[in-house]
Amino acid sequence: MKPTTRRSFLRGAAGATLSLPWLESLAADDAASKKPALRMAVFYVPIGVVRRGFFPGEQENEIPTFTSNQKEIARRQEVAVGLHPLENLTPTQQPLEKLKNKVTLITGMDRFYKHGSDLHAQCASCFLSSATAHSVNSSVYPLARTLDHIVADQVGDSTPFRSLEFSCNSHRDNKESIYFDNVSWYGTNHVAPSIRDPRKAYRRMFGTQEIQTYRDITDLVLADARVLQRRLGRADRQKFAEYFDGIRTIEEQMDKLEKMKSELAKVSIEEPPESHLPRGEYIRLMGDLMVAALQSGLTNVATMMIGPERWDTPLRYESLFDKPMSHHGMSHNQKKFVKQLLQVDRFHMEQFAYLVQKMDAIQEADGSSLLDNTIFTYGSGLGDGATHQYTDLPIIVAGSGGGRLRTGQHLHCSDGTPLANLWLTHSQIMGVQAERFADSTGVVERLLV
Amino acid sequence: MKTVSRLFLSLLCLQTIPVDADDRPDGGGNKSFSEVIQPVFRASCVKCHGKGDTVEGKVNLFNLQKASDLTANPELIRDLIEAIDSSYMPPEDETPLPADTRKQLVSQLRQLLQVALHSQKTVPRTPIRRMNRFQYNNAVQDLFQLNVEVFSLPERMLREHGNYFQPQTGKMPDQLRAGSRPLGKSQLIERRLAGVAPFPQDLRAEHGFDNRGDHLSLSPLLLESFLKLGRSIVESPDFHEKTCGIWSDCFAAPTSEQSEIEDEIRSRLRRFLTRAFRRPVEDETLDRYAGYVLSQIEDGEPFTNAMKSATAAALASPRFFYIYDRSVDETRPAKHPDDFDLASRLSFFLWGSIPDESLLEVAASGTLHEPAVLSAQVDRMLRDRRLKRFCDSFPSQWLQLERIITSEPDRERYPQFYFAKFRASMHMMLEPLLLFEAVLIEDRSILTFIDSDFSYRSNLLESWYRDGTQSKPTPVAISFRRVPVTDRRQGGMITNAAVMTMTSGATRTQPITRGAWMATVILNDPPEPPPADVPLLAEKPEGDESRLTLRERFAEHRKRADCAGCHRRIDPLGFALENYDVAGLWRDKYENGRTVDPSGTLFGRHKFGDIVEFKDALLTEKDRFTRAFASHLLSFAIGREVGVADSLALDQIVEESAAAEYRFKSLIRHVVLSEPFLRREEKVELKTGILSP
Repeated sequence: MKPTTRRSFLRGAAGATLSLPWLESLAADDAASKKPALRMAVFYVPIGVVRRGFFPGEQENEIPTFTSNQKEIARRQEVAVGLHPLENLTPTQQPLEKLKNKVTLITGMDRFYKHGSDLHAQCASCFLSSATAHSVNSSVYPLARTLDHIVADQVGDSTPFRSLEFSCNSHRDNKESIYFDNVSWYGTNHVAPSIRDPRKAYRRMFGTQEIQTYRDITDLVLADARVLQRRLGRADRQKFAEYFDGIRTIEEQMDKLEKMKSELAKVSIEEPPESHLPRGEYIRLMGDLMVAALQSGLTNVATMMIGPERWDTPLRYESLFDKPMSHHGMSHNQKKFVKQLLQVDRFHMEQFAYLVQKMDAIQEADGSSLLDNTIFTYGSGLGDGATHQYTDLPIIVAGSGGGRLRTGQHLHCSDGTPLANLWLTHSQIMGVQAERFADSTGVVERLLV
Repeated sequence: MKTVSRLFLSLLCLQTIPVDADDRPDGGGNKSFSEVIQPVFRASCVKCHGKGDTVEGKVNLFNLQKASDLTANPELIRDLIEAIDSSYMPPEDETPLPADTRKQLVSQLRQLLQVALHSQKTVPRTPIRRMNRFQYNNAVQDLFQLNVEVFSLPERMLREHGNYFQPQTGKMPDQLRAGSRPLGKSQLIERRLAGVAPFPQDLRAEHGFDNRGDHLSLSPLLLESFLKLGRSIVESPDFHEKTCGIWSDCFAAPTSEQSEIEDEIRSRLRRFLTRAFRRPVEDETLDRYAGYVLSQIEDGEPFTNAMKSATAAALASPRFFYIYDRSVDETRPAKHPDDFDLASRLSFFLWGSIPDESLLEVAASGTLHEPAVLSAQVDRMLRDRRLKRFCDSFPSQWLQLERIITSEPDRERYPQFYFAKFRASMHMMLEPLLLFEAVLIEDRSILTFIDSDFSYRSNLLESWYRDGTQSKPTPVAISFRRVPVTDRRQGGMITNAAVMTMTSGATRTQPITRGAWMATVILNDPPEPPPADVPLLAEKPEGDESRLTLRERFAEHRKRADCAGCHRRIDPLGFALENYDVAGLWRDKYENGRTVDPSGTLFGRHKFGDIVEFKDALLTEKDRFTRAFASHLLSFAIGREVGVADSLALDQIVEESAAAEYRFKSLIRHVVLSEPFLRREEKVELKTGILSP
């Protein structure tokens, strides 16, 4: 293996596409520094929530019938715009009762919907997107590099994995396209695929020896890549940069994982079994892996999609129903299934609360908790599964991002406040120097300490 | 003009009908616009489409002032042709266009579409893309000539037992055995390479296939898989001289003298890499791989292991697992499609894999692009057993058959659907796939897909169609027989038990789902994204509704005017199938005693009273079905969405296919000979001037 040659070659080969700095030994520097790293994680909930269960002041509202002009449900009891102490939790939020001083509920934030693709497809895939409605021409989805990767560009170089993508989609048919199944994207048309299998996730994170075996062939294939690249037209060359990016990322991972070997040995998490897990256990296991990754410094940025959008195939929710149910199917008939839907919403919230609690219990080197140093966001791309509204989304932010964010609050935003304002706020706290994020109009000042 | 291939030009010239040449220089078509198109729009369309504040369906025809307002938007012209030609517009409750006017309007719009397309600056192309999982498996198998699977592919729905698939015979056997992979017992237990873990299945694009270029990107995560895969394949304990057909030509230690070992390595690698990379390898590359093998041997590695490492590297090379076209540059002006690119395109289309040596030889001779040579290769490939890969990927995705995996009719009402741990759908899903294979191998008319006088059925299916009872099920290798179908309510791709079951709910049929399936699959005119606007019907009728037929219940639920547009198109397609219940069994009456009413009108002009008349109506519109099917096929062949820019090519494919009695193989041949399949340019700069002398 001749790393120097390979790297200098790499830089030459991919040219401008490799604009990120080449950081050799940051992992070592990191261990020496005193202040724990800032982390960011996202917990994406598909298909919206039942509003009367989730939103304060809407408990007595009528159950909506299926509309879909995305017309917002009128609120019966207006909540004043501004910050309120988070006191009485709604039924769906109950699992957070013990943690309510560590989280902030945000209501009233909106997103745009660009006509031309399915409501559900756009709702997940563009949830974290940095694109404005009309900035992307090469796709019907207003989809560009997502928040997690923009943040990883800033903080990902010090960890073996720039970011990790987890998914709890256990469907076995391939009913829907990638746009229903992914919240994390490198860019337009370029998905950052997630790991659905806990065993695979475990082996990727903790199994360094597997990676060693292909070190010696990368020289050969990189030279091939250069030959190939010369033969491509401009558009293809741009897409093909994914190969060089991939090799470079993997090499960084290998180096950093090697340096972390002794650290990783301390993490107490066992290789997951191969058997089928009940839905709750499955989600918690994936969550455990995500928390372990954030805790051990394998990554500072992670996303977790709790289930795919739409995907009408019924799923087993072992602890809730005695037969498989379709979350999406039920959401279209809220009047009939409101009880079950509330159960699903609460079930998802229980998993979120479990992870928040877990992060809160992990102590870092300086005595603070992992949660203190994390921005962990629960959210859905729909304000309600029956109305398909892109407005007034359910958002909860756990953790204070190293003391920068207020917690224990309910922030109600004025109509038309873009969700991108929150992403701008998060990315700035994570160190990204940006003045705008998609259609943002400014940071959410009220959230800042 | 230098980047325009001769072939492309000649195709264009064939299709070019000059429109209002005297109207130049302002774009063409103005005369037909002002004399025909605009007056009709003003008289019959703008009331809802543009006048005042009314702009139904986002179509504004009031603003159009001149032909170029239309030609600037070929998609709009296409939609207009579709709506007017299909009689969706003007809607039923408005004054219909006189037949002559309609015909004239459509023909003028078609000419305008040509003008519009010829003036387009860019043409769609398929981006560089990695292989999908299915292609990778096939390519590795062919490259090493493995007689075992690389990994298990549940996406391959049908498991062949006893090699019944013999396309060189031109005949599908009357008796055969097949198994259902997704539902069958132990269908994935097969001889394969131990220790090789596949990457995740690639998802199908919406209304498309799993080989779409824009969906197949690479991430570090996937790249790790590709890098690991190469190693794990050659290092699998099952990878040896008994399973690998090229063992002696590649891996076995040579008997030659030590002094000649380098030559031996080079010649072995040249053969291997040429095949893996689908074009001759240049010396630079050969040097690199040979140097690597030699250095391994010098380090004490046995010869076989050194060669294994080199081949593992080749599998991880982007030149192997990416599918791409070489760009045209100044030094190599494109006279015709690059023959090696073309060879790969052809083999990935028909074999889901890399070209074989004879295809590469033809490419090397520089004649593959010649129509006669190309046709001969297509014919050869259609008689090769590797055609099974096409049959294992295209039809199931075209028909969206994976939907049946999760279909579960109500257990109380359909106990006969379930047996032991299995379901009747295991048998059902194989029937359309076997019919597809028969039509292809025997080069029958694709209209057989609408209406066939034979099918392949198991005992279970035969009794299912006869009286809906269960017979003795055989869950593993199921015997299928070719049976004549005399009852025209059965047969074909639409009314089989698989499609009827997978488009239904557990307790009631879903005419809208069926209509959407028909519009998407059979007519390739997918409705707008699923009905976000329409409430779902309850599974069981509530209150007064229990007296109604399903059609009446839908009417009750659909009174909004803005829903009517789409439903006028979908509903007749779905309700035509109402005589088939949730599990595909025939019924004349609903459970409440009301008679099923399947009648309707297709494209506003063919009235039908039952499913047989519906099939007849579709057969009357056979060119429309052919165009839809050809468009699916073309999309699969070129790995991208087929758009308005391809419509002239599709017109031509349909015309040629009609002349060849709609035979499947000739349709495939014409897809291959079509301009979108042969195109190589990244960007074709065509000027409108191409229309003038």
